[in-house]
Amino acid sequence: MVAETFFLLASFTVPERLGLNPLTLLLLLPLIASISIVYKTLKVPRMQTGVFIKETVTLFFSIAVFIVITALVLFLLAWWATG
Amino acid sequence: MAHSRGNNILFLAVVGLSAWLIPGAGHLILKEKKRAVVIFVAILLTFGIGIYIGSIGVVNPATSMLSFVGQVGFSPAVIFIGSYNAALLENAMQESEKQHFAVYGIPNEIGQIYTSTAGLLNLLCVVNAVYVARMRWLQEGGEGGS
Repeated sequence: MVAETFFLLASFTVPERLGLNPLTLLLLLPLIASISIVYKTLKVPRMQTGVFIKETVTLFFSIAVFIVITALVLFLLAWWATG
Repeated sequence: MAHSRGNNILFLAVVGLSAWLIPGAGHLILKEKKRAVVIFVAILLTFGIGIYIGSIGVVNPATSMLSFVGQVGFSPAVIFIGSYNAALLENAMQESEKQHFAVYGIPNEIGQIYTSTAGLLNLLCVVNAVYVARMRWLQEGGEGGS
């Protein structure tokens, strides 16, 4: 199975066409989800489904909100500096 | 004998190398099956999304050494893929008719971010698996129960 997985990964030889638009920012969400899941997998003392999902969702939204706040601060800073 | 220092170091090495070789394998050896499955799926999907968006060309030490350092955490296989891509790129620069896996712009950046993050997350899992193995050994009375 591992060998098949690596062959599958190696078959991606042409990049996707991605433009730079506001929707591109949504690609951030799967990355945050992955980080939250792996981090909480290592962090929770016992892998109980309810607790694990709750902790993961909390971390996911914490990171997302922090990024949005950072983006807003940077946007206001840029607006103040250029306007 | 079961608690000897040599055995423990060998066991830690096996756990660490397994976790690096296949994401989640370290935790599987430690009989943490649920954690192993979640780690395997999450890290493989993250790396897969990165490769899908940016193609296999994002794994290339010749174009981005910093990303490659992060990507290596995913698996030793990345070293072979990176070396192959770097060799292809070098050949392509010397002889213009030869092909290489070219990727530029946003797909390159997104692909590198995803694959590097997957590598760094797996590195975190490797360290955690070795740490858990070490702590269990100490709790079972290794080094005189210290």
